[in-house]
Amino acid sequence: MDLASLVTPLVGALSAASSLFIVAAGLTLVFGALRLINLAHGSFYMYGAFLATTLAAWSAHTGLWIALAASPLLAAGMGVVVEVGVLRRLYAREHLTQLLATFALLLIFADLALRFWGKGVRGVSPPRVVRGNLELAGAPVPLYDLVIIGAAVVVGGGLWLLLSRTTLGWKIRAVVDDPEVLAASGVNVRLLYTGVFALGALLAGLSGVIIAPQQAVEPGMDAQIIVAAFIVAVIGGLGSITGAAVGALIIGIVETMGASWAPSWASTFIYLLMILVLAVRPWGLLGTPER
Amino acid sequence: MTMYGPSGVDVGDPSEGSVDPAETPARPPGRTELVPRLLGPIALVVVMAALGFLLSDNVLLTLQEVLALAVFATATNLLLGQAGLVSFGQAVFYGLGAYTVALGWLHWQLPFWATFVMAPLLGALVAVPIGLVALRARRLYFALSTLAFSELAYQLAESRYDFTKGANGVFGAFVPTALTYPRTGYLFVLAVTVASLLLLWKVNHSPFGLVLRAIRENRGRMQALGVNVYLHQLLAFVISGAFCALAGAMFVVYSQSSYPELLDWTTSGGPVFMAVIGGMGTFLGPAVGAFIYQFGHDELVRYVSDWQLVLGVVMLVIVMFWPDGLLGGLGRLARLLRKRRGDR
Repeated sequence: MDLASLVTPLVGALSAASSLFIVAAGLTLVFGALRLINLAHGSFYMYGAFLATTLAAWSAHTGLWIALAASPLLAAGMGVVVEVGVLRRLYAREHLTQLLATFALLLIFADLALRFWGKGVRGVSPPRVVRGNLELAGAPVPLYDLVIIGAAVVVGGGLWLLLSRTTLGWKIRAVVDDPEVLAASGVNVRLLYTGVFALGALLAGLSGVIIAPQQAVEPGMDAQIIVAAFIVAVIGGLGSITGAAVGALIIGIVETMGASWAPSWASTFIYLLMILVLAVRPWGLLGTPER
Repeated sequence: MTMYGPSGVDVGDPSEGSVDPAETPARPPGRTELVPRLLGPIALVVVMAALGFLLSDNVLLTLQEVLALAVFATATNLLLGQAGLVSFGQAVFYGLGAYTVALGWLHWQLPFWATFVMAPLLGALVAVPIGLVALRARRLYFALSTLAFSELAYQLAESRYDFTKGANGVFGAFVPTALTYPRTGYLFVLAVTVASLLLLWKVNHSPFGLVLRAIRENRGRMQALGVNVYLHQLLAFVISGAFCALAGAMFVVYSQSSYPELLDWTTSGGPVFMAVIGGMGTFLGPAVGAFIYQFGHDELVRYVSDWQLVLGVVMLVIVMFWPDGLLGGLGRLARLLRKRRGDR
């Protein structure tokens, strides 16, 4: 096997891993700070993608570029409404309550999306500058795959910088360990929760736009992505951004290899992998055991 | 005591399925209590059986599904309400029960009665390895593990076309002709429901049930007392799995088919919703929730297309403002009224 025949599937796997990472990063960020599994995370992602198709239909040239800013903002706005209107009232309650509330939100958002965007499958093509293939080591590589990989690197790097190099990041990490002490030292913890949740939603909306040109945009993509994002986040360890990256890489590679070698077993294998990880390390590869 | 009707509300009194011994009303214990206590459930069963001869075929068919869901929800609530284990994977067993009947007929021409009895046994058998793995994780991670098993089962059923007929599902004449009539089917399903609920009630009120609730309230203390927490929760998972599988086999009487969506994680969410609507802290709450959920669904889809929207809003309101569900709330109301009367 020569190098060229390896490059195309490798880039494909990296691109699949990258899109999974961007979605899972938001999920795991929210879990890390709020100890909350947000089942409606996929809804923010779907709304981001839907808005992108609407804007692209409105203007073929600039629509997607506008969506790049508008979709994350829409998702972040939804996140603020959800956090302030619902979740804030449930932090003191048990995790089942929060899980069910976000499940209910998933159902509500799904039906509302049907009202706005209908049942049909929608699509959008990538902006002209990143259309087509690129020659890489003698093999054709879709240019947009590289865009997605780049976006994942930017998001991952940005989150790393935010969490480890800024005061805000220190606060986010501190709030997991002891919200009371943090509040006593003068930090507005409620606002911090809202901010982190909105940031998670923003990432979901952003991933919606970025992935929209590559996939069918349709109802049901919310529940579909949330399961995929869970697998990634759970394998890597909920709450760990690095874990999400590792999980995304594993799943991306397994998915791509499985699709070419044993298509009918590919998805089964992914769930088996997740169960295997959970059986050995229930808190994920890079996660920390729950107290 | 005659404050509320003999059937309905009385059986839902939270003191029966409830955990908190302090909640037990201060009635004098004695034999006089036994008769009115049994009266409610017996009257309920008699009324339900009589309905089999009164209602139209359409309603009876819906009731078949509702009863299967009632067993599904009650069995799930053994984990949820009693053991405090949030499982998003009970559809594994529900679908397994349905597929046991359908595939037993398809591949080995097994008679319905044989597969119907096999279903709960298989459910219990499969629950052992799943429980062994999933129960290693706690709380949220347990919920996610069970969700993963649900998706695994769904993927297997969908992709193993040769064995399961894939996404099409299995259709066929595997239900005996006698049970395909709405009335006989309903009465059969009702009989199985009554037997299942009685058994589950026994489990809830056994010392084992008490230990489960104690583990839920204070895991550390039970461990310190020498209780094997893992084993107790595993046994609860196995019992729940068996009854969920039985519910799946009951569902086949109604649907006469089995398909991958029965194993999906959103199907697993169903009984959790029903338990929350009816009241997780009460024994009959999940069953009542199943009635409300399914009839609500059937009525709503007739008028509006946004059934999920309504369900979501209802769930959100219940979760936020009425967390003990319908029967829990009614129980609270009854206690309040009783207290008022006592004051006077």
